[in-house]
Amino acid sequence: MDRKWELDEATTVTAHFGWFGKKVLSVNGKEVYNARKYTRKREIEFSMPDGRAGLLTFNPEFIGKPTIHLRIAGNLVVETPKKPLKCESCKAEAKPYDKFCGSCGKPMPTAQDYELRGNISTATNAIKALAVLFILGGLLMFAVTKTQTDAALVKLEGMQDEATYPTQIQGKAYKVGELRKELAWEPWSVLWINLILATMMIGLAIWARRSPLPAVLIATATYLVVIVASGIADPRSLAQGWIIKLIVIAFLVKGIKAALALRDARA
Amino acid sequence: MRVGTQFCPSCGQNLTQPAVVVGMAAVGQGGAALQAADMTLTRMPRFVVHWEELKRLAWVFGLLLATSFAFGIAWRSVHSPWIDVMATSAQALIVLVAVASRWSKLEFLFRFHAGSLRDGLVLILIAVVFVALATSYFKLLEYFGVPIYTSTAMFTAADWPLWSIFLLVSIAPAVLEELAFRGVIQSSLERMLNARDAWLIQAALFSILHLHPLMFPSHFLMGLCFGYMRRRSRSIYPGMLLHACWNALVVLQELTA
Repeated sequence: MDRKWELDEATTVTAHFGWFGKKVLSVNGKEVYNARKYTRKREIEFSMPDGRAGLLTFNPEFIGKPTIHLRIAGNLVVETPKKPLKCESCKAEAKPYDKFCGSCGKPMPTAQDYELRGNISTATNAIKALAVLFILGGLLMFAVTKTQTDAALVKLEGMQDEATYPTQIQGKAYKVGELRKELAWEPWSVLWINLILATMMIGLAIWARRSPLPAVLIATATYLVVIVASGIADPRSLAQGWIIKLIVIAFLVKGIKAALALRDARA
Repeated sequence: MRVGTQFCPSCGQNLTQPAVVVGMAAVGQGGAALQAADMTLTRMPRFVVHWEELKRLAWVFGLLLATSFAFGIAWRSVHSPWIDVMATSAQALIVLVAVASRWSKLEFLFRFHAGSLRDGLVLILIAVVFVALATSYFKLLEYFGVPIYTSTAMFTAADWPLWSIFLLVSIAPAVLEELAFRGVIQSSLERMLNARDAWLIQAALFSILHLHPLMFPSHFLMGLCFGYMRRRSRSIYPGMLLHACWNALVVLQELTA
């Protein structure tokens, strides 16, 4: 994993994190740190050629990429992204070290702004992924449920609508006509429910571009409710795919925190 | 300096105009703002207060959801109106504790505010539009053959008296849901976000907590109407009254069907 920070037109700091704990830190191509040792502090102190103190901190996250920060003389530095940075107001290209846009003069986001926006973007991607999952899951479950209910409807053939079905279902006695109606609707209900949820998630992902906090909050609550509602319908579902569920919830919660921090900073 | 640059990327000064005192003052302010923004945002006192409040709201929502889950599971094996009574009691306890812990901030919702005739007419118009839209939605579901869950069936099957059905299906949910969503949740969110976002979030939470995606659109509409009534009247009572009336209408419709 390689990271790069452009401090000004003439100074660039690069960091390389190897698979087996190797860390190489260079300033303008000249190595200032190269070691494989395990450090409990998870930080590297170094000096810039002009004498300013540099500090690289790296903290592994529970979910997602590790957080890596570079501070020069105590100030957090904006990491150089793969795509060139652009001003939000005039879309002019900017450098990571620009504090103001050279084209329109508006202040550029700070390093922490960029980090929080990254978390919001991850949460938005999680919402989009949920939308895709609901569409695919809905289609798959529709096909499975349709096969099962068609087989059950065949068994009910020849029985009168007004007759009571001989065995109780989940502690409830059904009339055959009532049961037939419910069985015919069941696959469609599964499909509709998933399509409604997918539409909701798509709407929330779009809304998240303008108002990330409410959109991510609603998406998180909806996802939790879906987990609980599925758990009521079939308690075994709670144990299914719990790692994925945890990862999605963790991304969404991180997104809420980031959106709240950005909102409060701008207020 | 880069070609085509009109402003200094370091201090924001307009390079096409000579520096004047006002311009420099503005630059100074910009610099101060940037310095403030460079502080760790997640350690700012405003964020800490809001994050704690959001966590408290998550607890209220989570406990209501957990209650629905626990009694939903119980309902799978025991079909008795007593399950409904116990669920309502547990939710009442959660909501009343949440209201009591924020009483000083919610007190204004329990007062009667003198409103103008125009305000009264707007509230009545909202009620009429809401009843028309919600009825149309349920008629549409009926038209497409969607089986709709009847909330009164288990009470009538167990021969419970009419007053108990109205109390448990019409009045109790109206009071508790208004206290939870338009009281605790909307008011807390309004202190954190703007009024419009708080209004939309409480309506969404209200709809999803009913645990049935097919009811999300109708209940979202309900949440919006009751939330708007609460915003407009600065009181919880108009929404509570409309909510209870709507529930009573549904009960009457089910009992006469």
